[in-house]
Amino acid sequence: MHTTLKVTMLLSAGLALAACNGPRRVQARPIMENGDRTESQDRMIARAAAEGNSGTARLTRSRDSVYTRAVASCRGTICASIVKGEISLGMTPEQAMAATRTSPAAWTVRESRDATVMVPRYLGNSPRDATGEVVMVQFDDKRLNAVSYRETQGIRVVSSASDTTTDGRAKAMADALIREGDQFNAAGDRARALDRYDRALALKADDIMLEYKIATMLDLQLRPVEAQIRYQRFLQELEIEQIEARGDANAKLADAIARAQQRLIVLERQTSVPVPSPDANPAPLPRPAADSTRAPVTPVKVPVDSTKVPVDSLLAHAAAAR
Amino acid sequence: MTFLSTVALRRVAALGLAAVSLAACNNKRVTRMDPARVTDLSGRWNDVDSKLVANALIEQTFGGPWTTQYTASHGGTSPTVIVGTFRNRTMEHVPIGTFVKDLERAYVNSGRVRLVASRDERTEMRDEREDQQVNASAESRARIGKESGANYMLQGDVQAIEDAEGREKIVFYQIDAFLVDLESNQKVWIGQHKIKKYIDRRRVGW
Repeated sequence: MHTTLKVTMLLSAGLALAACNGPRRVQARPIMENGDRTESQDRMIARAAAEGNSGTARLTRSRDSVYTRAVASCRGTICASIVKGEISLGMTPEQAMAATRTSPAAWTVRESRDATVMVPRYLGNSPRDATGEVVMVQFDDKRLNAVSYRETQGIRVVSSASDTTTDGRAKAMADALIREGDQFNAAGDRARALDRYDRALALKADDIMLEYKIATMLDLQLRPVEAQIRYQRFLQELEIEQIEARGDANAKLADAIARAQQRLIVLERQTSVPVPSPDANPAPLPRPAADSTRAPVTPVKVPVDSTKVPVDSLLAHAAAAR
Repeated sequence: MTFLSTVALRRVAALGLAAVSLAACNNKRVTRMDPARVTDLSGRWNDVDSKLVANALIEQTFGGPWTTQYTASHGGTSPTVIVGTFRNRTMEHVPIGTFVKDLERAYVNSGRVRLVASRDERTEMRDEREDQQVNASAESRARIGKESGANYMLQGDVQAIEDAEGREKIVFYQIDAFLVDLESNQKVWIGQHKIKKYIDRRRVGW
């Protein structure tokens, strides 16, 4: 009897222990079981198509009516611009929409007296014309007087006939690249600054001060041979005889010429001896005149040894001379 | 003689029985089923999962504002999408193409999204076009430089988490898909579907 009791108790304890470590069965109700059906994709696609078609048809009707009004009132070059898909100065709001192949649904229009401004309704989904992404169109008395594009280097505003030409666009892009280069230079990133100046020079080949900036950047990056070539090119491109010391701009330019000449002498001396290793200190740059803005144009003969000047001040001079 | 024939008959009968038994082991049965019917056998990724993912992504992609905003901003023109990389980040074999192709079909057949050939597909197209420049007649030749550029790229991945204890297992799949603006890198739409499966392998079952 005693033994039976012991066995029973042991068995009970064993069962209890086994139950503690038993499988934790998940009691969640299943949402899908064998035999159920999944929704038909064809029905889903048909529903989406029906929704899309109604919206597209409405937009197309609206766009077509804008086109009709735009083309009915256009003349000459404006008609040609609409066909080519280019916004041009003098267009009406409808013509601008027609040129961008859009309807009023794409724009938020604000009017105040004679001024009208159209901006894209959805950020990141700006309408485009043949030139680029349009971010703002301004009208004066219902005639387009300025259009702004989002370019790689920032916003470009077209508000005159010269801005709309290829040269005007190249000049605006070059200016933006120079600004970017100046920012990199100010941040101490000379490699990127040089890259931007180089790219700007491709668009604005007649900017001699850009050549000077590139020469300076190369000089600072311990690339004496290339710097020397650039300084020489800068000096050659200047018609020195024609420069007269009249006004601040010419005085600054004369200052830059003098500095480039001095630097050229230094670099010629350096390159005649073995080229320094990149970790060597760069050769000192010439010191600017005390009041360089009013400096006479006569070539300044500064001894090479006394040409210790902060680079930033030199660049500031070059930038100011522009 | 009679004894021998009886023994031979018994042997033949035994052999016949063995052959029938062996034949019975190979009870292959093939039936055609409705592809929309849910059939889970092993608990691994299967056709039902692929279909559920495709359905969810189709519903989410047309429910989002990206198509309507693009269409409104471009005078009713539909956006153009290119299919990029969908990664399988699970340890399991998950055929990505099944639900991606479902999504592509929905894009094109709904008329709300235009689709351009992906990187792999277009290589063949370009080869054919190049070949036409030499071999096809002038009026039937496909011209070069007239491809449509995509506005958005479809990308995504599949990830899985498993949890097992004894004969029970939970498998969780998360499928993320997103459309990225090719110019600005902005994600204009993110679709997501989650699947959680409970797999119970009991020793005895009814």
